[in-house]
Amino acid sequence: MILQLQNVSKRFGGLKAVNDVSMAVESGEIVGLIGPNGAGKTTMMNLISGALKPDSGKILFDGMDITGKDSYQICRYGINRTYQIPRPFPGMTALLNVVVGVLCGKRRPDMSLSDAMLDASHYLEMVGLFGKRNILAQDLSLFELRSLELARALATTPKMLLIDEVMAGLNQAESLRAIRLIRKIIEEYHVTILWIEHIMKIIMEATDRVVVLHYGEVIGSGPPRDVVADPKIIEAYLGEKIA
Amino acid sequence: MVKIEHKRALLVIRFRDKKFEWPIETRYWRNPLLGVFGLAMLPLFFIGQPDLLSLVTTANIYAAIAIPLGWQITGIGRLNFGPQFFLGLGGYTAGLISSYYLWGPWGTLPVVILVGLVFGLILSPLTSLAKGLYFSLITLILPLIFLEVTYYFSIFQGETGLYGILPLISVKSITAEQLLACYFSLILMVIFLYVIHKVMTSRVGVYTAAINDDEEVASNLGLNIKAWKIVCFVVTSVMIAIVGWFAAHFYGTFAGVTFLPLSFMLKILLVVMIGGRGDVYGAIYGAYFVVLLEKVLTVLGTVNYIVFPLILMILLFTLPEGLYGIYRKHRYREYYPSIRVRKR
Repeated sequence: MILQLQNVSKRFGGLKAVNDVSMAVESGEIVGLIGPNGAGKTTMMNLISGALKPDSGKILFDGMDITGKDSYQICRYGINRTYQIPRPFPGMTALLNVVVGVLCGKRRPDMSLSDAMLDASHYLEMVGLFGKRNILAQDLSLFELRSLELARALATTPKMLLIDEVMAGLNQAESLRAIRLIRKIIEEYHVTILWIEHIMKIIMEATDRVVVLHYGEVIGSGPPRDVVADPKIIEAYLGEKIA
Repeated sequence: MVKIEHKRALLVIRFRDKKFEWPIETRYWRNPLLGVFGLAMLPLFFIGQPDLLSLVTTANIYAAIAIPLGWQITGIGRLNFGPQFFLGLGGYTAGLISSYYLWGPWGTLPVVILVGLVFGLILSPLTSLAKGLYFSLITLILPLIFLEVTYYFSIFQGETGLYGILPLISVKSITAEQLLACYFSLILMVIFLYVIHKVMTSRVGVYTAAINDDEEVASNLGLNIKAWKIVCFVVTSVMIAIVGWFAAHFYGTFAGVTFLPLSFMLKILLVVMIGGRGDVYGAIYGAYFVVLLEKVLTVLGTVNYIVFPLILMILLFTLPEGLYGIYRKHRYREYYPSIRVRKR
């Protein structure tokens, strides 16, 4: 088991964003995290990646307790993420965006800047952005930004990748390219993936298992086909009448 | 021996096993050495004109403060409104030790560095604890508190300031002394320029740019932002304290009323802003521009105090990226380090 959450809770004032959540992810697994808006999916991701500290509970990664650790430490343990709304370094070129990941993701005190750039070029090539390496990130399109985020996350050599709604705002052709890209990443880097997504078709096709969150609580977990047939989950998504 | 060859568009200079290449086409001449050479020649034209020599020295001092400050602003991702606090700290430390214990400039320098280091470390947690406006407000207040302290304790000698500080250089000819002081300030500025340029074109420059653009994402990519912000703040604070040391020993007197008020801070921030924040060379253009403008406007008399900030405010609105920013906008790839292929 690569990731384990034990009774994790997070509160924002009176709102329980994540309530006593326990779940586990096996090494090499692709797990989809679904739920209606405001279910606490992104908060979960923030808790795992260290952007937020849990109020209670434990998060274990690869046998180590990472609860309350800073996000840079968690990154070095091997967890990285992408953002729902892409957050590149806008004033830096695409190449340098990835260079940050190469230099900081692991302790590499002997790596020169030129070597880091060479390494970063490899990741950019993989996501199809090598031709745009010298373009400022602020001038890239949404699809290119999402690809850049994936390249940047991969550059930190993660064992686990947290993907937050990578398809949001993409058209059909771009979505297909994004899926192909993620499959390529899985094939080449054998990373474990925790994937938040609203598009059920993608979740059904791409994931091994699905965890459903509702009002900050896990209401179901299992293979995608079983989960979508569960009346409790249909009710959470579409309401009591339809269920 | 030195061998000079002409190869296509390059002038190749060989010295023992070392090789230097100089592009002949002028559009490739962006070598900072040319600029430094130009600045080094400048005082020679002003020999016998003490006011102009002092102007050049002042511009070099402003640039020496603005160069590390530019790195600090990008490296901690916050705007420091009180760089003159460390200037005062360095100046008063050097002044107090020199005037009371008669220590020379080379004796006071290590103490100034130590004091700058200690205060830099004490204040460095602010770079993570105080965000945005709060950091700016705290740093704005610090030099003003320091100014009040200099009035309150007689040791600082209030408005008169410290005097009898041993000079950096003492030669019999006043012209020679002014010229030497001018070159000392230039050397100090060039050292800072070299150090910060080296830092900004290394991996630390990439960290700095990442922190400046998005701290949270930088941390998420494995960068220990708290540690790097402390390093950046402490190093730059020590550098600014050294400028204070230089000012104290150069002028022979040091008064908080000259360096600590808001008007001085305004000038330094404008040097940074006009030069283009986060740009090493821009600070020099900014410093010379501000000093020159200040000098030209003195002919207007007391109205100068209103016209000077007014002109600068207009410039800030019309040139948000600074004078150097116009150049940089078209050559953004040079802003951060670019790939250099080793030929050996």
